[in-house]
Amino acid sequence: MPKVTYIEASGASHVIEVPVDENVMHGAQYNGVPGILGECGGARSCATCRCTVDEVWAAEVGSPATDAEKELLEGAEGGFKLNMRLSCQIDMTDELDGLVVHLPVSQF
Amino acid sequence: MAIDAANPVPPSFPRCAGWDQIPPHVPKELIRSSGIPTGEEFLAAPHDFMARMHQDYPPIFYDVGDYGNAWQFIKHEDALFALRHWEHFSNEGATPFPRDPNDYFYFIPIEIDPPHHRKYRNIVDPLFSPKGVLKLEGLIRQRARDLLDEVADQGECEFTTAFGRPLPVSVFLDIMGLPQDMRDTFVEWAIDLLHGKDRESMGRAMKNIVAYIKGAIAEKKAHPDEGVVSRITHAAPDGKPLSDKEIFGFVIFLFIGGLDTVFATLNNIWLWLARNPERCKEIIARPDDIDDIVEELLRRWSVTFSGRVIAQDIEMRGVQMKKGDRITCVLPACNFDPDVFPNPLEVDFDRPRKTILAFTVGVHSCMGSHLARLELKIALQEWLQRIPKFSVKPGAEIVYRPGGVVGPEWVPLVWKK
Repeated sequence: MPKVTYIEASGASHVIEVPVDENVMHGAQYNGVPGILGECGGARSCATCRCTVDEVWAAEVGSPATDAEKELLEGAEGGFKLNMRLSCQIDMTDELDGLVVHLPVSQF
Repeated sequence: MAIDAANPVPPSFPRCAGWDQIPPHVPKELIRSSGIPTGEEFLAAPHDFMARMHQDYPPIFYDVGDYGNAWQFIKHEDALFALRHWEHFSNEGATPFPRDPNDYFYFIPIEIDPPHHRKYRNIVDPLFSPKGVLKLEGLIRQRARDLLDEVADQGECEFTTAFGRPLPVSVFLDIMGLPQDMRDTFVEWAIDLLHGKDRESMGRAMKNIVAYIKGAIAEKKAHPDEGVVSRITHAAPDGKPLSDKEIFGFVIFLFIGGLDTVFATLNNIWLWLARNPERCKEIIARPDDIDDIVEELLRRWSVTFSGRVIAQDIEMRGVQMKKGDRITCVLPACNFDPDVFPNPLEVDFDRPRKTILAFTVGVHSCMGSHLARLELKIALQEWLQRIPKFSVKPGAEIVYRPGGVVGPEWVPLVWKK
């Protein structure tokens, strides 16, 4: 099963197996990784599952998939960077095995 | 102190109601009696009333009513703060539904604060996730088409009886793993329980629901299946099976939380569509924007409120609130906050995406939101394909029903055959 490394703002890291087709938000939520809240559950409605994709992986993961995702990221606390994503919008694939994402100090 | 979900006890703190039960720390200038959700002025046009609150009321005020006194939050920012800080704004004891004190149970997971809350959500979230509910898309579409087959050629219907209620109830039965022949009975129970004419019919409905749900749980214990009732019955978070009280409180909460809110949302939206035929055309002309359309309609036509109990004294906007006080987030008013949604009563499908409060936020954010969004999307698509132009039946009187779920009681519609 592909693995994702979640790195908290404190530097603490969590390596989690996330099934193909499951999203990166659920990978954190179901395994107790702090730092991803995912309040709306993946509806592109809240921006509390924000992450910054490690630069090594940024091209592979790609930029926000929809206007809604981009608008939420732009409106969120802490400013917008091009490699920021809503983790609910990143679906796992075998190609993403080893993905590294960085979590913000706070989601709101 | 955190409650023990397996051994439920009724909350011990008092409920304040009426003019003689205003705590001394409440400043006189912040006391109002808004009449939400039962007053005449409110019921005349509830959503307009809640939009006007931003002019007519202080951002935080203390509302006095026969059913309970509580601080009211109408600013988007304040509701986000309250709903996201459970250590100050607790859900324990915040659900107003009366229960038998001798056979008490908690509504799960709504009445459970973190950290225990997440273990319950993990049981059902995969089924109610956007991907989980998408598996039901074909089935929901078929159910919508079946209902439309019955009415489309008639040229008229009472929307809520013909479509607004049976659609979400049959989907609910599918997802729960309960038989479809219970559909009309479930509709009846839900209506009696939530809008019963008297306490007797409400009590009778509750008794029927309790008996049915207990029976269904026993049946699923013996014969597991893929439905939600069975999944909850057989769940064992951290290797520990749920107790009978937990299972029951979880299943009955889904029944109460998941039906009436959807009926009311559909009723509000169909009434608006019937009065705005040019917007029906716009929706039909923009099939690729359906997700934005659904999100904006949910903002404009939110139907409910979210209450909490203050767990630690707190000050917001200079207002001192004390432990044991109750607060209510007036969610539709928050969705009309002009600081966040300019020109808030305008339905604008091109608004930049922002957090709407239709489903609240925070850990207790509605688990059924993706199902509700999908049902609304399919209902719009299927209805408008069959009945693209319709209006309110001439002479029909639109009456909003009093209570914690805001919507018109009946929506009689007509269209050209």
